[in-house]
Amino acid sequence: MNNEKSRSSNPIINALRKSNMTAIGAVLVVMILIASVTSPYFLDIYNLQSVIRDLAFVGMIGVAQSLLLLIGELDLSVGKIASLCGILSGMMMVYYHWNPWLALLVSLICGLIFGAINGLIITRLRLNSMVATIGMQGVYGGINLVLTKGKAITGIPEEIYFLGKGNVGPIPAPFIFCIAVLIIVLFIVKKTKTGRYIYAIGNSREAARILGINVDKIRVLIYSLVGLISALAGILYVARLGSSQSAIGENWPMNSIASSVIGGVALTGGIGNPAGALIGAAIISIIQNMIVLLGVNVYWQSAVSGFVVVIAISFGSISEILRERKARKVKVG
Amino acid sequence: MKVLEATGITKLFPGVVALDSVDISFEPGQIHAIIGENGAGKSTLIKCLTGVYVPEEGSVEINGQDALKNKELFDKIAYVPQEIDLFGYMSVAENLFIPYEKSGFKGMVNQKALEEAARPLLAKFQIPVEPDELVKDISVSSQQLLQIARATVHEDYEVLMLDEPTTSLTTKDTQILFDIVRQIKSQNKAVVFISHKLEEIFALSDVITVFRNGKKVAYSEIGQVDIPWVIRQMTGREVDQNQVFCSEKVTDEVLMEVNDLTGERFTDVSFQLKRGEILGFSGLVGAGRSELMQAILGYLPVYKGTVRIDGENWKLGDPTFSVKHGYIYLPEERKKQGILPVLSIRENISVAVLDRLASATGISRKKEDELAQNVIDTYDVKTPDAEKEIQFLSGGNQQKVIIGRAMTCEPKVLVFDEPTKGIDVGTKAEIYRLMKELAEQKGIGIILISSEMDEIRKCSNRIIALYDGRKVGEFPATADKEEILSAIIGVG
Ligand SMILES: Nc1ncnc2c1ncn2[C@@H]1O[C@H](COP(=O)(O)OP(=O)(O)OP(=O)(O)O)[C@@H](O)[C@H]1O
Ligand SMILES: [Mg+2]
Repeated sequence: MNNEKSRSSNPIINALRKSNMTAIGAVLVVMILIASVTSPYFLDIYNLQSVIRDLAFVGMIGVAQSLLLLIGELDLSVGKIASLCGILSGMMMVYYHWNPWLALLVSLICGLIFGAINGLIITRLRLNSMVATIGMQGVYGGINLVLTKGKAITGIPEEIYFLGKGNVGPIPAPFIFCIAVLIIVLFIVKKTKTGRYIYAIGNSREAARILGINVDKIRVLIYSLVGLISALAGILYVARLGSSQSAIGENWPMNSIASSVIGGVALTGGIGNPAGALIGAAIISIIQNMIVLLGVNVYWQSAVSGFVVVIAISFGSISEILRERKARKVKVG
Repeated sequence: MKVLEATGITKLFPGVVALDSVDISFEPGQIHAIIGENGAGKSTLIKCLTGVYVPEEGSVEINGQDALKNKELFDKIAYVPQEIDLFGYMSVAENLFIPYEKSGFKGMVNQKALEEAARPLLAKFQIPVEPDELVKDISVSSQQLLQIARATVHEDYEVLMLDEPTTSLTTKDTQILFDIVRQIKSQNKAVVFISHKLEEIFALSDVITVFRNGKKVAYSEIGQVDIPWVIRQMTGREVDQNQVFCSEKVTDEVLMEVNDLTGERFTDVSFQLKRGEILGFSGLVGAGRSELMQAILGYLPVYKGTVRIDGENWKLGDPTFSVKHGYIYLPEERKKQGILPVLSIRENISVAVLDRLASATGISRKKEDELAQNVIDTYDVKTPDAEKEIQFLSGGNQQKVIIGRAMTCEPKVLVFDEPTKGIDVGTKAEIYRLMKELAEQKGIGIILISSEMDEIRKCSNRIIALYDGRKVGEFPATADKEEILSAIIGVG
């Protein structure tokens, strides 16, 4: 019954066929080409650095978010956790004169705890992740306002600025963190038991439980990790701005989900690769940069960028639609 | 005169020729049975004939017109797929008439009108539910009948295709279905009927087509042939229908002891399982057999009672503990609770024993590949390679992978919950042989839950009957069929 001919013996071809990462990578390359042809400023080193600095933040959160999408859940409170942890670090450094490094470390731990709280609420009370994190983002955002009364905290010690504003060689520092996050997440996903369990849970939560996988423990673990990464992004952004602001992370929940989806991570769980989320984030950041470079009217920017993101998300399904059309044409003539 | 005629149908999937230039046709007023091993291509054929798949080669003519060119012709075919695909959170009536326009409900949908229109249909199919009940709350058997009722709502169909409609039907509902199918036949419509149950095929159909490995290998009027002929055509070998498979190495050592266990759907159940024994659990659908075994696993709550396995007081309520210590449950709902659909065969197997596959840099791919290949070879899984997504294997081959996975966990107690649901006769015998071998050679205890009386009597050393969550009898393998039957329907 097995038709040996239709099965390629070339492992590389098989791998390419199986993953859609190459397709997404190709889209990114095409975007870069278009961008450099249409605007002479795109390849300018300062512009590139600013694009990469932007994408580092969306990329980090996107990679984290993709872990949740892999188990069929999501976290809409990532942005508020980020800004709250930024505020907390600012208060520790500026109001209480803590050692900046200690302040950053404690803020990271706070992020981890906020994530764990999300996870515990969702698993223990058996809540839907979307609804629960909409609620929790209100809570974190509210605490934020109580602490700051809406005012920014300025006077952040300059010794931490390089974390956000600095470059290592030509590479913006936040991007180094972003890559580090990606490497750690990829290691977890590809090399550890937990990673395999994540895919198992995303495929079928019931089957995973019957297999003896401690499903809730892993879910809480992922929410905690997402909280930690959000806090990291938050404090890096504080370093970038030189001040703590409640507005940090406003667009991160939506952009992180969009990056993951563009990167081929399915909303239904079990399918995808976190590295795709970083490519997705790059695509979104380039789109936003193009809109500025091409001088799109300021009032139109948001609408145009939203529209292009919708198109980018559709790449996967559009290629599927085209493939079906073609199959029908071949058949019906 | 033929209502549907397909010629030279070829359908390819990566690495598999699912259908190899198949010719088949259906006549009005005839019930046409299609049979073949798991993965022979039956469902794929049906999907090609209903427009779900477009075949790579071949033509489909409905009433003499090319249906691949004119898709609307497929409306003449009512199709009930192998898997239930109803809307769980919608009412019975809504499920029956969706899409509403086609059912003659224009504009606004009036809930009352829908429900009134549903009543006669529910009565015709004798489905004991109210039109406003949610589909997720009705029994699986009723869902199956409802699915068939839905397919036949639009009276203008000319062919009815039923892909394994009886797998989750109770005996009584099967009879109801058969009466309706005969009625449909008398209205001069063509019926296509797929089943692995040979008795049903002989009871119902007029003609039979046998498939093997994607090819049509035989066609006959049903009166001309008998069961052994069908099995020979299907498998290419003889399968002795009367062979017994109970373990011949039952020891006196008590492996598992359950005392007064009470949970939501079972009450005060006590029993013992010996090392090397196959213990059958008989009962009607809903008797609480699966719930009992899932509660011991820790998947469902236990209110009262104790369990000891291999001298160890069992920790209840923790599946991780149970699996680690050797109590493995193979679920009846294979698609929902057994397989991890979009993962490969390799990943489906290794996920249960990752500790053993550890290497310095995480999980050793080499050990993992060896393990998967070992399972594929030992249990004779039909697949081009270990990387195929398990969802694309046929039901029987999925089951073999899951049994192989369970065995790599080195179980002490292995629970098979309806292990041959939707599985062909040849493979059934293989699964029985496997159970026997495991009990005899590995010295494990096996629990077999089955609703098929023949299966349970062929394989078990002892049989326990449950009725409404209570143990109502314990029988030796040699017990009379009638005796067990009366116990499980509560008149013992
Ligand atoms: N979508 C798919 N992608 C890849 N392979 C597939 C797909 N669907 C079916 N197959 C393969 O095609 C072959 C025929 O499968 P099919 O489901 O038609 O078998 P079947 O006769 O209906 O079996 P069963 O009795 O188990 O229902 C099998 O080898 C199966 O693995
Ligand atoms: Mg089938």
